[in-house]
Amino acid sequence: MKKTLGLLACLAAIVGLLAPGVSAQETIKVGIILPLTGAQAAFGEIEKNSFEMALEEINAAGGIKGKKLELIFEDDTGKPEVARSAAEKLINKDKVVMLGGGYGSSETFAIAGVAQQSRMPFLVNTGSADKITEQKWDYVFRLNPPASDYPGGLESFLTEVVKPKTAAILYEDSNFGTSSSQSFEETCERLGIKVLVKEGYSKGGVDFKPLLVKVKQANPDLIYMISYVMDAALLMNQSMELRLMPKLFVGGGAGFTMPEFQKNAGKAANMVFSATLWYQTLPYPGAKEYFDKYVKKHGKETEYHGAEAHAAAVVIADTLKRAKSLSPDDLRQALSETDVKTVFGPVKFTAYEKMTNQNKLPTYLVQWIDGKLELVWPKDVASKPYVFPIDWEKIWK
Amino acid sequence: MEVLIQTLVSGLLIGGIYALIGIGMSLIMGVMKIINLAHGQLMMVAMYITYVLFEALGLDPYFSLFIAMPCLFVLGALIQKFLLNPLLKVDSILPENQVLMTVGVGMVLTEVIRFIFHSDYKSVKTSYSSSAIYMGEISFNVPMVAAFGLALVLTAALFFFLLKTDLGKSVRATAQNTDAALLMGINAQWITVLTYGLGSALVAAAGTLLLPIYYLFPDIGGPFTLKAFVITMLGGMGSTVGAILGGIVLGIAESLGATYISMMLKDAVAMVIFLLVLIFLPGGLKTLTKV
Repeated sequence: MKKTLGLLACLAAIVGLLAPGVSAQETIKVGIILPLTGAQAAFGEIEKNSFEMALEEINAAGGIKGKKLELIFEDDTGKPEVARSAAEKLINKDKVVMLGGGYGSSETFAIAGVAQQSRMPFLVNTGSADKITEQKWDYVFRLNPPASDYPGGLESFLTEVVKPKTAAILYEDSNFGTSSSQSFEETCERLGIKVLVKEGYSKGGVDFKPLLVKVKQANPDLIYMISYVMDAALLMNQSMELRLMPKLFVGGGAGFTMPEFQKNAGKAANMVFSATLWYQTLPYPGAKEYFDKYVKKHGKETEYHGAEAHAAAVVIADTLKRAKSLSPDDLRQALSETDVKTVFGPVKFTAYEKMTNQNKLPTYLVQWIDGKLELVWPKDVASKPYVFPIDWEKIWK
Repeated sequence: MEVLIQTLVSGLLIGGIYALIGIGMSLIMGVMKIINLAHGQLMMVAMYITYVLFEALGLDPYFSLFIAMPCLFVLGALIQKFLLNPLLKVDSILPENQVLMTVGVGMVLTEVIRFIFHSDYKSVKTSYSSSAIYMGEISFNVPMVAAFGLALVLTAALFFFLLKTDLGKSVRATAQNTDAALLMGINAQWITVLTYGLGSALVAAAGTLLLPIYYLFPDIGGPFTLKAFVITMLGGMGSTVGAILGGIVLGIAESLGATYISMMLKDAVAMVIFLLVLIFLPGGLKTLTKV
């Protein structure tokens, strides 16, 4: 009996301690789902850091209608089924007012399904397979360009500078990889470039040489690769080893712009081009400041994934400020009327091609020049002139 | 022609590493008559040891062999002595409860490593990671060739141990007939501990040799356990010579499949070969040899 009384007293004390804490500071909760561990953790880290930087700025500037914004991060571990349950947890248990995040296309698609079903506004910042915004889901908005737009910046570079006649496409057989490879194949058809080899691979391979040797035999002018960071590094390392020398290597975003790619591929990364969605010297307000602040705070460079996340936080805060109430329908209404300038560029949701609630932005081309990622195309915004043609013998020596 | 030769070279080199992975499992299979389903996970632990030594002390992965192998020998021996052997005394519903225990051991190892290192990808980037020697147009990746050579050396050492030493003969005797070995005065329990340790040390070597050309994360064990299993079956259960053949056949089959069919179907090609061997050579590749 004495024990029970003691326990009760303890409990009462704990409840007493906690209670004022709960009511003192009311926050507006938004759920963010990112791959914080697992294969895609490098991307998740860069995005989480950027979300947190933006959050600090928003709350320092007075928060939202006098309340503080709170981001609740959930880890999708790079698996769609985990992403799905993370979304359900955020909606049902944490009672968030809207969802953000979404890195891998497969995970994003799973979250989007849950969001639409639960009538919960969801702002996608990275998941880029076209089909995510092709479902006429009115609660799903996408800030980043779809995968089919990624090679947009590359297209004019190819027609004006490289003029390749043949190409090879290598892609990871994921949602994002397949979708990007199809759209690049269409681009090639339109530009009159013959696709000699189009091959998928499943992630986790040790040895890409059998695949690359086949590409070498076909001898294309251009090799376009859609890969995440570790496979990207292995592909370039082994291409160098096999002396596979096309006129140019181009990465389709994702792994190829990450600092980890350069770290793992070393000199094999040099002179590799990649499609990108953003670069710090672009004339968007705050872009350069965001980049410098990130480098100062984290001692590492950021790239387009980080900018997307920072922009997403700004759009979320803007939506919450403008919404009449925090009900899902008012938020959805406010989100659809978004017209805001972010570090990632202007954000405005429109419908084009088969997509709805889609932000339309130009894409760019970057190149790794002597260990640094430089914006090289279009010319009027370039941070450094492009290096082409490339003498691989000299670079790989 | 060049494409074919390069494909065969790549397959053979990776096959050497596969053989080293498979041989440990075969050894354990031969003596204990169980499939060690923690095999890939033990390799993963060895890879993390090598990674930590490289990051903290700048130790070259090849020197780490001398640390990772003994560490894994001890780890393997402890697992056998305190987790697997006690199960022999217990009456259970399933006779294979030792196998189930190895599954559990594998999971625990993965989660412990995930807890310590998180699940991000790590890699060991050495100066020679992507260097190659060329014979005409055919390239030989230096770390791959080194791994292949060391795999041969380790296999030869293992054979010397099994064929020429008393202890090795005891291992073979236990593998042939445990009861008879016991009657001859061999401490069979101790032999199982030794064998599991040896098998773990061999797969540790494979992991360490793989690290300069690959990367690692906690879940890397599973796919390699599967590979080791396929190799053991291909080779004929428990045959060390068969495991070497099995590893090389698997490596070459995967390479040929990737070049001439599709890299997406690489694993499928390996599985088809696996099925064909099971159907037409049920005893595995060892039936083709006289050893």
